[in-house]
Amino acid sequence: MNAPVSTSDLAMLSMTEAADAFAAGEVTATALTQACLARIDAFDAGVNSVIRLDRDAALETAGAADAARAAGKPLGALAGVPMMHKDMYYRAGKVSTCGSKIRRDFVAPKTATVLQRLDAAGAIDMGALNMAEFAQNPTGHNAHFGDCHNPWDLAYCTGGSSSGSGAGVAARFFYAALGSDTGGSIRLPATICGVTGLKATQTRVPRTGVMPLSFSADNVGPLVRTARDAARFLALTAGHCPGDATSAREPVPDYEAALSGDIRGLRVAVCETYFLEGADAPVAAAFETALLALAARGAVITRVKAASMRAINAYTALVSRVEGAAIHANWMREQPQDYAIHLSSRLYGGYAIPAHLYVEALSRRGPLLRQFVAETLTGFDVVATPTLKTRVPTLAETDIDADPENWGRFMAVSANTRPFNFLGLPTISLPCGFDERGLPIGLQLAARPFAEATVLRAADAFQQETDWHRRAPAL
Amino acid sequence: MEPELVVPTMEAIGRWSGVSLPNAAARHGLADHAALIAELEALRGTMVFEDEPSTFEAALRELQEPAR
Repeated sequence: MNAPVSTSDLAMLSMTEAADAFAAGEVTATALTQACLARIDAFDAGVNSVIRLDRDAALETAGAADAARAAGKPLGALAGVPMMHKDMYYRAGKVSTCGSKIRRDFVAPKTATVLQRLDAAGAIDMGALNMAEFAQNPTGHNAHFGDCHNPWDLAYCTGGSSSGSGAGVAARFFYAALGSDTGGSIRLPATICGVTGLKATQTRVPRTGVMPLSFSADNVGPLVRTARDAARFLALTAGHCPGDATSAREPVPDYEAALSGDIRGLRVAVCETYFLEGADAPVAAAFETALLALAARGAVITRVKAASMRAINAYTALVSRVEGAAIHANWMREQPQDYAIHLSSRLYGGYAIPAHLYVEALSRRGPLLRQFVAETLTGFDVVATPTLKTRVPTLAETDIDADPENWGRFMAVSANTRPFNFLGLPTISLPCGFDERGLPIGLQLAARPFAEATVLRAADAFQQETDWHRRAPAL
Repeated sequence: MEPELVVPTMEAIGRWSGVSLPNAAARHGLADHAALIAELEALRGTMVFEDEPSTFEAALRELQEPAR
């Protein structure tokens, strides 16, 4: 054991730092787990990120990891690292509430492929996290388990739907968390809580054993502190799974190996169409400063337009609404009162969309992807946008249950993230500043299909140039 | 002023899906459809006869980064 590290210091480590410290014998898994549990005990009453804490099981797993290391047994790449996950990842025999009243007692019949892969890598699963009901809001409101609160200021929303994942990683309750992303549900809590979130290419990560929301747009991915964390996490969870016939068969590269910090000559397209229109001044200013940071490391910044965005936005609005409505039809007929108002009201609109327009939206998806790539990623390596156009809203001003007039602000939260679900492109959000109220601002980077390595390389270089991702809220 | 489409849309949903209006916010959301319909009107004629949903997965594979 090297120099002792205090408990508070341990909680501040990134996922890869914690894993590497454990592998090097500098810290025990038990100490890492105790550091996380101490933070949860001290601060989660205000944040409300945890639905189920498996304290004893986590400490038992940590003790086994310590014993395995002492015995010289092989260790996985995430050995000894405590995590918690959005409560929609099934683990056989455990309740998976999906953030809902309807599934409050649902016992999962199988374990999600991503959890199996994290288990195999040695990660410690400490339990389940708060989330938007059935992963269907962009703010983190939850009428059944209580709203999740932003650790930077408890009056503000966390972003959703992976609310507990974003808030808990930001609050240093654990080192990584699975979220899911159908319209921005990883990237929104990442940007709003000041952490890093990665949505990979559509089909990149298997969805077996994961609650569905929209077959066409659902994605599995991590919320973590750094791009390096996301790289390791993705490498261990991506790749075809026979249980998910839709999962991609493309080989999974060593993403961490590409994180050289060298982005000289990287061609960054700034899509001025749509993504910057109506952006709040602090967001626009932080975004421009972030571009300067990328340029400082040698990236070449170019402004582009994308005429495809109008169609992309219109069709994006159809697909997940229709698919969500189909999945929930029985419950919407038989027990609509068991949904929160904001959810049943959104689902209801999905039944009004004609079938031919849904098919048209799916049919135009490939051609529009080709057009968007031609406009923004031909001659360029990544496209950059703010993740959230506006400053972070409060929980009150996006609460539809309290006032339907908040509908517009509620729906606007995911304006810049939804298009990339329709397009299926790999997209990351990372912290790039704070507004005058001390709430985080995020930078979104996307690349061509299966170019996660490019996105991660750019994000990592940005984080080598800046320290926004190192800042933690004072709880 | 509520758009005219709201009431007939509620009737169509009930008839086709058997789902009833769950709350006032849902009615508010339906009013939002007027803007969406206007956007879709602007796209009429853009889908070509041969377009089919399966082209998306093919596009994902074909549009990968060129080797450099």
